[in-house]
This record gives sequence, C-alpha cells and structure tokens, in this order.
Amino acid sequence: MPQAHVLLVDDETVFTRNISKLLAHRGYRVTAVNSGDAALRALEEQRFDVLVLDLKMPGLDGIATLREMLKLGLFVETIILTGHGSIDTALEAVKLGAHDYLTKPCEIDELVAKIESAREKARGRPS
Amino acid sequence: MPIGGILKRLLRRRASAPDDAEALRLEFKERYHHFKLLLGANRKALEIMSEIEEALHGHRPFGMTFVRAACTSVCVNVFSMIRGMERLAPGKYTALFSRYDAIQKDIEEILARPAPPRDPRLTIPIGALGRELADAAGPKMANLGEIRNRLGFRVPPGFAITTAAAARFFAYRELQTEIDRRLQAAEIPRFDALYALSAEIQQLIIRAPIPPDLETAIREAYAELEAECGPGVKVALRSSALGEDADGSSFAGQYRSELNVGRETLLTAYREVLASKYGLPAITYRLQRGFRDEDIAMGVGCLAMVSAVAGGVVYSCSPVDPRDRRLFIHAAWGLPKAVVDGSTASDLFVLSRDDPPELLAAEVREKDRRYLCYPEEGVCRMELSGPERLQPSLTREQAVEIGRIALALERHYGCAQDIEWALDEGGDIVILQCRPLSARAAAAGADPSPAHEEQSVLCRGGITASPGAAAGPVFVAERTADMLSFPQGAVLVVEQALPRWASLLGRAAAVVAAEGGFAGHLASVAREFGVPALFGLPGAVEHLRGAGEVTVDATGRAVYAGRRQALLEAPLPRPPLMQGSPVLRILEEAGRRIVPLHLLDPEALEFAPEHCRTLHDITRFIHEKSVLEMFRFGQDHHFPERSSKQLFHRVPMQWWILNLDDGFTEEVTGPYVRLEQIACAPMLAFWRGFTAVPWEGPPAVDGRGMLSVLFQATTDRSLNLGVRSRYAERNYFMISRSFCCLNQRLGFHFATLEAMVSERTAENYLSFQFKGGAADFERRLARVHLVGEILEELGFQVEIREDHLVARLEGQPREHLLKRIEALGYLALHTRQMDMVMANPARVESYRRKYRQDIARLIAGPEA
Repeated sequence: MPQAHVLLVDDETVFTRNISKLLAHRGYRVTAVNSGDAALRALEEQRFDVLVLDLKMPGLDGIATLREMLKLGLFVETIILTGHGSIDTALEAVKLGAHDYLTKPCEIDELVAKIESAREKARGRPS
Repeated sequence: MPIGGILKRLLRRRASAPDDAEALRLEFKERYHHFKLLLGANRKALEIMSEIEEALHGHRPFGMTFVRAACTSVCVNVFSMIRGMERLAPGKYTALFSRYDAIQKDIEEILARPAPPRDPRLTIPIGALGRELADAAGPKMANLGEIRNRLGFRVPPGFAITTAAAARFFAYRELQTEIDRRLQAAEIPRFDALYALSAEIQQLIIRAPIPPDLETAIREAYAELEAECGPGVKVALRSSALGEDADGSSFAGQYRSELNVGRETLLTAYREVLASKYGLPAITYRLQRGFRDEDIAMGVGCLAMVSAVAGGVVYSCSPVDPRDRRLFIHAAWGLPKAVVDGSTASDLFVLSRDDPPELLAAEVREKDRRYLCYPEEGVCRMELSGPERLQPSLTREQAVEIGRIALALERHYGCAQDIEWALDEGGDIVILQCRPLSARAAAAGADPSPAHEEQSVLCRGGITASPGAAAGPVFVAERTADMLSFPQGAVLVVEQALPRWASLLGRAAAVVAAEGGFAGHLASVAREFGVPALFGLPGAVEHLRGAGEVTVDATGRAVYAGRRQALLEAPLPRPPLMQGSPVLRILEEAGRRIVPLHLLDPEALEFAPEHCRTLHDITRFIHEKSVLEMFRFGQDHHFPERSSKQLFHRVPMQWWILNLDDGFTEEVTGPYVRLEQIACAPMLAFWRGFTAVPWEGPPAVDGRGMLSVLFQATTDRSLNLGVRSRYAERNYFMISRSFCCLNQRLGFHFATLEAMVSERTAENYLSFQFKGGAADFERRLARVHLVGEILEELGFQVEIREDHLVARLEGQPREHLLKRIEALGYLALHTRQMDMVMANPARVESYRRKYRQDIARLIAGPEA
C-alpha cells in the first residue's frame, strides 16, 4: 500500500509538531498547517488521503473549513478533533461529511486507527 | 407513492434490461458500502452502550468528560446508522430521524443542566451563618455558623469567603477557561500527566490576580475581625468546598489549610487554598468519586487562629464499627494538625454515652512532637523531650466536656459526627470543624485475629484504620515521585500516614503505615474507599521492604508473607464509589435515553420507528431492517449475478446466501450455490462447526413435537424465503471473502452472527447475539446462561440481559477467530431446544460436559 498523505490542521503548533512526529514514525507522510485557510490552499494544490482537522481555530474554524471544502468540491475523508465532546458540533461535522471525530488530547494509536478506517472508507467508496 | 417506491420501480425496470446490469452492480456496491458502514456504526454504538452500562455500576471512576464523550459517540454512531438506513431504503424509515432528534435533545438537555443560582455575597460573617447557607459558604463554614449561632458552642470568630467569591475569582480574566483547556487531559488516567498538570494549574491560580471588588470585600471583612479580636489578628484559612462533606464523601485532607496567616499574606493564602482544588489528591478524588469540576465550588473559611494547648478529633461512635457506640477522642499536644495529619501518635480517650459521659478508658501514648504557631506567621513542629511526652494531653474533665459537645452535635445533626477541636489557652474547648462520620462496618462475624501460622507473620500490632484484608505486592513509597510508578493492586507501605498518599487509594489493595492512627485523613479516605489500612506499626517499612506479595489483615492487625487465601475469602465489598454523585446521576439520566432495549420481537406490531424510545431501540430496529433491506435488494431486482442463492449440499438447504462482494469462488449461475463455491472463511467455519458432530435430535420433551427442528427445517423445500410464518426457519447469510453476517431464525428464537476475519488482526471481530426460546422465562434464562458460560470459557466478552445474550471477541488472529466461529456453529445446532430441559440439573450437567468435550475437540482439530 502506498504511503498515505495526511493533512494536519491545528492552530496549536505544539500539538501539530508532536502529532506530525508520531505519525511520521508510523510511516505517514504528514503536512501540517495552522489555519483553515491554509488547509484549503493545501487541498487545492495537492492530493491528500486523510484530513485531520481541529474544530476550534481562530479565523476559519473546523466547521467553516468543512463547509468551504464542500463548496469548492475539495472532498477528502476527514477526522475532526474536538476539545470537549459536544454532540451538536460532532454531529454537525459528521453531517457535513466528516468520517469520524476524536477528542483531544488523543492517543496516537486511536488516531492511527481512525486514519486507517478513513482510508478504508475512501477505498470502499464507489467511484 | 414514497420516493423509495418510485426508485425501486425504476431500478426494477432498469434491472430487467441487461444493459443496465453495470448500473445495478454499482448501485449494489454503493448499498453494500453503506451497509458495511452501518454495521460498523452499530457495533461501535453497542460497544459504547456497554461501556456506559459498566460505568453505571459506579465502581469505576469517571468524570463528565467520559459522560460527554460517550453520549456524543453513541449519538454520532446512531445517527450514522439512520443515515445509512436512509441510503438503503430511501424514504422508508424517515420517522427514525424525528425519534432520534427527540432523544438527542433530551440527552443534550440532561448534559447541559445549569447549576442553580448562587447567593451573590462575597463574604459572610460567621455570626450570620447557618446550615441553610451551605451553598454560599460551603458546608464546613455553614456548620460552624450553625454550631455557634444555634447551639451556642465556641467556634473561632471569623467570616466565610463565599463560593460566589471563588466563582468571581475563577471567572476573572478567563482563568477558568484556561484551566478547563488544560484539564482536558485530566481524565486520561495517566498519573504522570495528571501530576504535571496539577502543578501547572496550581501555579496558574497562585499567580492569578484577585478581582478588585473581591479584594476590597476580603479586606473589609478582615478589618471587622480585627475590630473584634485585635489588630493584626492571625487567621487560619480553611477550605469549605461544596460537596466536601456530602453524605458518604469526606474529601478528607484533599484541600489545603493555611494556618496562622497575617494581614499581608491573607490574599496569597486565599489563592493557595483555592489552588488546592487542583491539587493531585483533589483531582484524583473527584475523578474517583464522580464529582464534576464545576460541582466543587470553593468556599473558604477565614477564622481567627486558636493558639491551641492541645487539639484533636472526636468521633461520636467508632469509625470502624458503627455498632460500637462509645465516643472516641484522639488528642495530642499543640494544634490538632498532628492528629489529622496522622503524623504522630495520639492519646485515645474512650467515653460512654451517658450524660455526662463517663471516661471508660485512656490510652496515653508517647507523643514525640507538637505543632504550634510562630509569633509572626506560620506553624512549626517542635520535638518533645520533656515529661509531657508521656503525660495525657487532656484532663478527665476536659475529655468529658469534649464528649458532651460531641453528643450534643450528634443529636443536633441526627447522625454520628467527626469533630475537630482545640483546647485554647484559657482552657476552653473550641470547635474547628464538624462533619458526618462515614463509618464502615467490619465484616460481620469476622474473627479479629484468626490463628495463622506464626512463621509467616511479617508484622503484628498497630491500629485498624480501615477494616478488611487484602493481598498484593509491597510497594514502599517515600517520595511524592514514587506515586508515579505505583502499580495497580499493590500494597502501599509508607512511613507516615500523610494525606498526600490518598491519591493512591484508588489503586492500592491495602495500606500499611508505620505511624498514624485512625483519626487521620488518610484513614478516613481509606475507609471511604473500602481499602484495608493498618497504621501505627513501627518498623513496617523495614520489615516489608522487598517482601514481595503480602496479605494485610487490617482487621486482625497483622501482615503475612504471601497470599493467605483464608483471610481473603470474605472481603468487604468495595463501596460503589460513584454512588450518589452528580456525575453518576447525570449518566443515569442520560443512560435511560440510551441503554434500555424495548424492541425485542421483530414480529411484533411495536417493532416500528415510532416505538423507539432509546438509542438502543433505534440500533436494534435498524440492524434488523438493514439486513432485510439488503436481501430485498437481491430479491426485488432479480440481480442475475449477485442475488441470493440457495445453498445446495447434497440437497437444497434452507440457507440463503447473498454474495456481497467476493464471497463466491467463481461466477455462480442458476438458483443454487454449492458449498465448494463459497469463499467466505467465516461462513465455512460456521458450517464446519455446524456439521462437525451429528445432532442427537431434540431432547425428549413432553408432546411438543410440533416445534420445527433446524436440521429437518433446513432440508424442507416447502419452506421458502419470504414465507413469514412464526415457525418458519430462516438462515440468511450475507458474505464476502472475509465477512459474514448470519441471521438465523428458528421457531421462537433468533441468533445473529457477524464476523470480519482476515489477516488484518486489528480489524477482526466477531459478534454473536442470541435470544428467545419456547420454554418459560426461567428456563430460557438458564439456557442463555449456559451458552454464555461456555462462550466466556472460549474468551468471549459476554453480556446477558434477561434472555438476550451478546458475545463479542475482537482484535484476535484469523485462525483463533475461525475456531471460535466453529464453536458457535456447533452451539447453534446443539443447544437447539435445550431450553426445554433446562429445569433438570442433572441433564443440564451432562449436556454441559458434552458441549465442553466436543468444543475442545473442535478447537484442537486441524485448521481450515
């Protein structure tokens, strides 16, 4: 299986740095950006297998980013990161097409499992 | 006509045209994709429901983060199922959306329930306090006010800095928001993370500014106290947190008290006490007992310092045996700190409940230190070397006076009390704290010191600080950092019974301390947690270090080498720690909208979206219908390559198979598929188990031969798919190479098996459900338990609710799972109608033996 390319979006740079490192150890190629706008630009420029998106960011937040992605036709399987588990936001994200969500701080094993299940879903998705 | 119907018609028309076969295949692939996602969401939702059920027992600590995360996850997965169902059968089950919305709204409301409004005052003088102000001043200060103003006993002058004041402090410059952000990690029960986090948050609080209006209020209240007690009066700042003295929870010693504080350091000391809400003991205690962070509002008492000649604690009955109604006074020289810290030996005075009480016994111990106030600020510990070491710290009259007060307080509050007192320089008794005593009974009839082989005794003596016996490996903790490596289930051995060790009681099997008595904080917490504790055992650390596994018999006051099974036989049940806590109550309420299952019988009229009362009902309904919809697709569309086929093995069987993907080894034409054309590993495993041992036929029962029997039914051609007879036999398999979903219905019961078995071990799972039967409920139940027992022996996680069994197994290697599926195939055949004989224990036993033997042979047999 080819190396998966993950786009990691979070304004907390400590978090993105740690997670990038851990994901790289697990064999992923990781691109990290720190805002919703930067995420949209990255998605326009290249293809990613999975997007890991924080909900709470200044400027374009996670939900707004998902909405923009839909509008621009930039669909990619997405895992949402939330601080507090909130049914409403989690559901909204899922309704907008997010594959799954995770509560921060997350265990790396759990994140990897969700990334893999998102890839599996992408593969199974009828084209 | 609903949209779904139109679509179906279109599809049917399209299906009949051979050119559209490809479109139909795509449509099928799409549906299969949603079906798989739906099953995944179903599995996840059920998993979390069982987690919630386990949490509801209240034995395992959890906080609001768990409650929110679990509820969110169940909701999201159930919603995904509904959406999947909508894709499978558009427009057919839309009622599910409104049922779901209503349930979700209820749950959200329960989770977001706001706290009641507070009394807005920032400080309240003690002369104005009473029990009714417990929410404003915190229970500790409210009680002191009550004791002073209603009962007329002496308490120190002072005032309460209210919970509203603390709320004001934490809201100022968004301090609480910052704390919450950092606390997100706190429910990950990783001790090292908590440890660092606790220090970080406390620093944040200590450095935070005090809002100007709050500062003014505190300064004014202090000025009034100066007017009463003299300029520069020294005060003690004590926590008076909400929930602190709630019934059954003590928070004993979890928060800081600052003693002998002067005017200049008053505000710093106030912040120190507030910060202790996030001290390690307090955070772990909240987690273990189920208090939300926001449930604990920190009131703080500011009380004139009593320069105590002697001090201690009095219990209005025995804290280890509530049947012992005598009064127990623990006393030491100087401030009562020495007694409540458990840091020194104390005198014990035992009194009767007469009026006035009679001194029944006095045990005077050697007291090697005392705490006293520095002239400027703070307290110091002084080693005692003079004759007072061996002198009683109270006179008979003083002890009797303390006893009299204890009885009066018990009468007033209507339950046994735990009271902290001080003897001031004028010889008066001053009450510093009063709270309900949580007593734990020793096991009824337990022999306090059973005769055990003397050679295995490592230590003997000491004081039963918390009754019971437990075994585990010795772990000597000396420094705070040792807490990080404390293993679950170890025996904690320490020099002094200090409150800081309380953080470990959630994980400790037992506690042994060389110094300390049962009046200390650590002892209170040990009793509350039901952890056996033996204190005051000199040399314990030296004797036990490196001893490996030991048995601590706190009731019998001895420590033995190794496990002493006889002592452990009747352990005291650990109290359900979370019982009565706000977090558990919230989960119980939310759980009522999630967990109970009402839709049991798919044939019943009530098996409909409108009757779904819980999220579990919705999952059950969707699971059932999604299977039917998948089959119906094959039926409705007469899809030439992939519609369901009837299994042909020597004769046509009543096993109907829908190939979802790559479940056949080759293209199968015609109505039948042969066994050797099946590529599905889990289905073949089920078949192997099913046919491994011939069935001896139904157990001989009285005249109920009308019941259909699987093997006859499976070869009965007259039964057909779609005949919806109550007695119809239906075995539906949906398969791909690595996936199998079996719905089996026979007569009065149903079984479902879902299995994903491939080389990718992490994704492998097996889920088996079983319900119903023809016999009365008792016998059905007995059968379900027999099956459950066998499955548990095979390593399944088994849950039984009424006569409904759910067994799961996951993350196991392929061959391991295939063998378990064989066992299920075997059981599916052989437990048939077993419910009819379950009332006969001898027959049941002989079946149990046979099942075990047969399954053991299957498991040991050759691999596929």
